[in-house]
Amino acid sequence: MQQTTSPATTPQPATPKPPEPPPAFQEGGISTMDAAALIRIITDANSPEFKKAKACQRIGELGAKEAVPALAALLGNEHLSVYARYGLEPITDPSADDALRAALSKLKGNQLIGVINSIGKRQDAKASPELARMIYGPDADVARAAAAALGSIGGVSSSKELQAALAKTSGMTRMAVADASLVCAERLLAQGKREQALTLYTSLSAAGVPQPVRLAAMQGIIHEETSISRPR
Amino acid sequence: MITRRQILQGAVAPIIVPSLVLGQRAGTVAPSDKIVFGGIGIGSRGAHDLSKLLNINELRFVAICDVRNERREEIKSTVDQKYGDRGCRMYEDQYALLARQDIDAVLIATGDRWHTPLSIIAAQHGKDVYCEKPCSMSIEESWALAAAFRRYNRLYQAGCQRRNGANFALCKELLKSGALGKLQTLYANVGPSVNWPPVPSRDWLAAEELPSKQVLDWDRWLGPAPWRPYHSSYVRGGWRNFYDFHGGGILEWGSHTVDLCHWAAEFDDMQPVEYEPVGANTGPYKVNCKYANGVKLVMRDNGWDGSLKTGSCSFRIEGDQGWVETGDATKIECSDNIKPLLRPTESASLALENHVKELVRCIKTRQSPSASAAAAANSHVTCHAAFIAYQRGKTLTWDPARREFTSDETANHMRSRALREPWRV
Repeated sequence: MQQTTSPATTPQPATPKPPEPPPAFQEGGISTMDAAALIRIITDANSPEFKKAKACQRIGELGAKEAVPALAALLGNEHLSVYARYGLEPITDPSADDALRAALSKLKGNQLIGVINSIGKRQDAKASPELARMIYGPDADVARAAAAALGSIGGVSSSKELQAALAKTSGMTRMAVADASLVCAERLLAQGKREQALTLYTSLSAAGVPQPVRLAAMQGIIHEETSISRPR
Repeated sequence: MITRRQILQGAVAPIIVPSLVLGQRAGTVAPSDKIVFGGIGIGSRGAHDLSKLLNINELRFVAICDVRNERREEIKSTVDQKYGDRGCRMYEDQYALLARQDIDAVLIATGDRWHTPLSIIAAQHGKDVYCEKPCSMSIEESWALAAAFRRYNRLYQAGCQRRNGANFALCKELLKSGALGKLQTLYANVGPSVNWPPVPSRDWLAAEELPSKQVLDWDRWLGPAPWRPYHSSYVRGGWRNFYDFHGGGILEWGSHTVDLCHWAAEFDDMQPVEYEPVGANTGPYKVNCKYANGVKLVMRDNGWDGSLKTGSCSFRIEGDQGWVETGDATKIECSDNIKPLLRPTESASLALENHVKELVRCIKTRQSPSASAAAAANSHVTCHAAFIAYQRGKTLTWDPARREFTSDETANHMRSRALREPWRV
């Protein structure tokens, strides 16, 4: 039977070939270095920005806890902060949490937001009190990041802080608090704290809550209350 | 405050959810009204998507946001010319576009690094999304994407348009009908190494003088990707050669072809449990994978058109009684016993048109489109896991329930990438 066919070959895209990276911007041997060598690059004041950046990324893949102090020292660097977090985020040792938490009081602006985001990703509950305070701080971007991190951390304490913040914040910050509350409710459900989750969803169903969140919360309630798999 | 009881009373029956919750805008939109679209980051591929959207009568495209002034102007010109007015508004800031209450859905066709964060921000603003592939930069982003669209009950259509391609659908049908017998092996052609090596470069290009922010907002162009000095090559499309912006050849095509395999086999909720990389970073390469049910998935660099010349982005299904293979050339190659079952299909090139139409239909009915965020997350996690195995140069085993590699801590550390501040997922 005859098939309708296009031409036997399909055209290749014109993929622009980039110029050759200069030697100073080639990762080279950094990709195979051990943790000690990578830490030496990060801590050497004479190491260029590029090498420090690559060393941070590679040390994150190794997850080497001995690199925490070296990485923490770069958290305030405008260009390298993200690379420092690239290194810190995968390190499972609690010293990485300690370093990120310690940076909360030292940084501001985008670098502070980055650290807050990493804390949220790592779900470090010890940071919750400080994050809760930051929701009411003068920097709205920091406040939104703090709310998001609290939501990611989850738990009853975060839930209460977010519920309180929902009533005390406005505009984009309130939207971030509301979104974080949805995430928090999911975390509560995952922890088996159904009633607390439903209480949070109900507070998000109130008039005045941003509509996308209100609808999501109502859906959360309906899903949870009508789930046929829920033990009764 | 509304009580839980009142919310439940609003539902007609326990399992019938009110239309309000299903996502129709509260009392302002009748299904027959036009669906209002905006676009973010529309380059050459996005313009192709846009051309299909503009041909849909029940849709109106009203806004474009881009970090490049010339792109904003070009898209506005295209849209205004189509509608014969000057109604397409231009934005530099995605939040300004997403704040518009009249916009129902957005087309996202930025570079890959922006896909997940922007899609999630759009969902948080109550928008449905059509997003180009690859949809995520990491395993972590893939899960976050699916979670956000489930949380907000928004619709997401990944740019995996071959799910709406007739020749691909016929192959799926042949598997489902039993004509191929018991499924043995799926083959997903991945990006040829001559175009995209499996592991992109981690180098930087030499710094060039930064253009004015009006011409190009480099900070916003980088977005969630780690900082590096500006070079014009990145902006012209050369970003695909670099790890910080790209997931390599496996993800470049695997986001299509692994996705096709999962769709055809109805594996949209499972990932392989084993990944064996074969080959170097130049020349043909492959990753042999195995699902818990014993079915194999082979991601293979089979050249641009495939060895059977079925075209780009080919995939193949092998059962114990027959096999089929097809790609962008539309023709279907198969074992002799399957040939009598073939029938003419429309051209594979119509898949994109069908795909955007499917999303528009779904926006009206609030049914999930075929390339949902959950399905995309599943196929992308599979590609990312294979990418990590390739970088590790060793066979990795994966626990889908725990969402972690079972045999390699370094691989687990590579499941996520730090996002440049202030961005997060």
